[in-house]
Amino acid sequence: MMQKMISKDKISKFISVLQKEYKIFGPVREKGDIVFKEVQSADEMDLDYLNSKIPPKSVLFPMVDTLFSYKKDGEKVEIIENKPYNKVVIFGIRPCDAQSFYLLHNFFNFGKFKDPNFLDRLLNTVLIGIGCLNPRNTCFCTSVNGGPFNSEHVDILLTKFKENYFIASSTDDGDVILKKMDFLSDAKDSDVKEIEEMQKKVESSIKIIEDLEDLHKILDNMYEDPLWEECALGCLGCGTCSYLCPTCHCFDVVDENKPDGSGRRVRIWDTCQFPLFTLETSGHNPRTNKIQRARQRIYHKFNYYPKNYNLIGCVGCGRCILYCPVSNDVRETFSKIKKAPSKTEG
Amino acid sequence: MVEETKQAAKGEASEEWKPKIIAFLCNWCSYAGADLAGVSRVQYPPNIRIVRVPCSGRINPFFIIKSLSAGWDGILVSGCHPGDCHYISGNYVARRRFAILRDLLIFMGVQPERLNFTWVSAAEGERFGKVVKKTVENVKSVGPNKMFEKDW
Amino acid sequence: MSDLESSIRETAKNLLTEGKVDLILGYEKGALPLRAAPCFITDPTDVDRLVFDYSCDLNLAKFLREHPEKKLGIISKGCVGRGVIHLVVENQLNKENITIIGIPCQGVINRSRVIRKIGEREILEVKVENDKLLVKGKDFEESLPLDDYINNLCKTCHYKSPPVADITVGEATASSLQDNFEDITSFESKTPGEKMEYFKDELNRCIRCYACREACPVCYCSLCFIDQNKPVWFGKTADITDNFIFHMIRALHVAGRCVSCGACSSVCPMGIDLNLLNRKVEQIVKERYNFESGISLETPPPMGAHKFEDGQEFMIEED
Repeated sequence: MMQKMISKDKISKFISVLQKEYKIFGPVREKGDIVFKEVQSADEMDLDYLNSKIPPKSVLFPMVDTLFSYKKDGEKVEIIENKPYNKVVIFGIRPCDAQSFYLLHNFFNFGKFKDPNFLDRLLNTVLIGIGCLNPRNTCFCTSVNGGPFNSEHVDILLTKFKENYFIASSTDDGDVILKKMDFLSDAKDSDVKEIEEMQKKVESSIKIIEDLEDLHKILDNMYEDPLWEECALGCLGCGTCSYLCPTCHCFDVVDENKPDGSGRRVRIWDTCQFPLFTLETSGHNPRTNKIQRARQRIYHKFNYYPKNYNLIGCVGCGRCILYCPVSNDVRETFSKIKKAPSKTEG
Repeated sequence: MVEETKQAAKGEASEEWKPKIIAFLCNWCSYAGADLAGVSRVQYPPNIRIVRVPCSGRINPFFIIKSLSAGWDGILVSGCHPGDCHYISGNYVARRRFAILRDLLIFMGVQPERLNFTWVSAAEGERFGKVVKKTVENVKSVGPNKMFEKDW
Repeated sequence: MSDLESSIRETAKNLLTEGKVDLILGYEKGALPLRAAPCFITDPTDVDRLVFDYSCDLNLAKFLREHPEKKLGIISKGCVGRGVIHLVVENQLNKENITIIGIPCQGVINRSRVIRKIGEREILEVKVENDKLLVKGKDFEESLPLDDYINNLCKTCHYKSPPVADITVGEATASSLQDNFEDITSFESKTPGEKMEYFKDELNRCIRCYACREACPVCYCSLCFIDQNKPVWFGKTADITDNFIFHMIRALHVAGRCVSCGACSSVCPMGIDLNLLNRKVEQIVKERYNFESGISLETPPPMGAHKFEDGQEFMIEED
């Protein structure tokens, strides 16, 4: 794995070399918010951001994803399938969001249930991350097997250092790309040491929430706990936490038609927090009240994900805490879970 | 404002564009009035498609919004004159609903000329023709409806 | 803690200890600066959780319908009290079970505006001192003019305390504000094309989380129009045409019922300005039918009534 330095003003060149082969998606500032959009040049990106509102899962798992469309011409029907995917680079992604792709991959590639849309896109995607120099108070990536400079789930990681970026590849794809960039300078050993110390300092500044790995064991005995009623009291039952969560992946499939006889089947984001999410064709709804839905969110991420994939279904990005309309804080739920009396039963 | 829309209409609407207007007519007065127009051979533009409803009060604002979203260029709603509603007060209900809907749609940028409301009685065949003529003129002046076109 | 807050806590404590209410519904400090969370108190010793300040932007009337059997006390600023009264008028609540604790409100801070001003710097502390909004972070401290960051709806509000209240805490303030809806008239000077462009631009960001609908006290339909599938009326995707229609119809459905609390705009995670739509709907109903929702238990809402003399100036005139 390679370690190099790139000066800030060479990032444009880096991007233009990548553009020969890849479509580039990067953090763009629109009306004050950061969104991950396709960019034509490095100037469109703002790399000094904290994090985006809508996570970069939207690049591989779009909010509105046409599965196929059709046109009718008299009796003839023409089906238009999705175009094959371009090779894509997501540039400037944060390590927590990169980790979320790993979690999403597990969901979309589960045994015989493989989602071609997501998987094909992921296969064609290179992740170039930027480490976090200013983690927020709401970040807790280090408590869920992540970190502000975690390079496990990216191909290349950049760390800002004075007027440069320290650039390190962690996969073969990353190596291939770095080899193409002949304008990178070598990283001095003293600089690397300073960078590693800085990274450690930033990482230790993030407050640790203990025992999230073992939360699933406590949750095994808490299904009927009155805590969930307390959790659900203020909850509005909107989709904010799910839509802005990088690991949430639920979707609805709807068919749309136009008067001229054309139509499409489209996949849109859905959330277990909506009452209709679990409504079955028979009319039965296993989760009719908010308490069950509030409980489900915690269980899915901290009990079912560990059971199904041996992973915690959360990357600690803190968006749910930052954007919840009623200021519900999942970290408080964690401490309530750990303190709940029923954990001592059974 | 009208100038701008006329320019847009000239640019977008080719010679071939014919406005498509959907008309919601109440069964007892307006639909009968339209029928009388037909029987009396009143000449009026052929651009309307009529939907018969039992009373103008049956009209759900969704009918109008769905029509606009499906690409209809204009709407005509017609009921009984105040005091003459077959169901006593349905037309008053329709009038309030339409007033609020129209104000809100115009506020959000729908051209007022697309939303037309009137009272036509069963005896007003000739007048029905005039109403349609005026509606078609209004809609022609603002061009085709591309507000809710989906591009897939 | 302000005087108002201590009076609120005192009142809440008395109501609970005397058994006059089973549950007090108020605001407590949220997890982050400038945030408030809804607070549900059954134990009189818990009343110190209650706060009231510029961060209390939710409409608590929303939560009342979920507790139908209990005797409830609700800490009501003006728009919250209006929400309660309107829900009673619509037969959604039993007024006998509800004690409206009226408090005076100075408005809420528009969080999106503050965040846009501060940019990509984490806000760690917010304080209001007289007419200044002090925002502090790790490496910065900014003093902003408070008035520039108060929500637009609050600036035109003339029901700072509830028009109908069972208990009054603090000084009930009656506003002598004369509202001419100038903000609406100035927006309406745009051409239709410009208006539509403005709304499409604003609503493009909508992710269809429905936080606006869930935060609104008068949006309580068990099956929202957008979720209907027999028939499907309008699209559920986040395409701009679908977003435009959703918000237009939601504004239509709250016409004559909206209490102008601005909660929909405050809870929007994308910071969309829904307040303009609310203001328009408020103006339509006030100017056409001289109605304001939630100020009286007697007057029927305008969409449930009609008059022979209703205006019809929009009728087409054939020549």
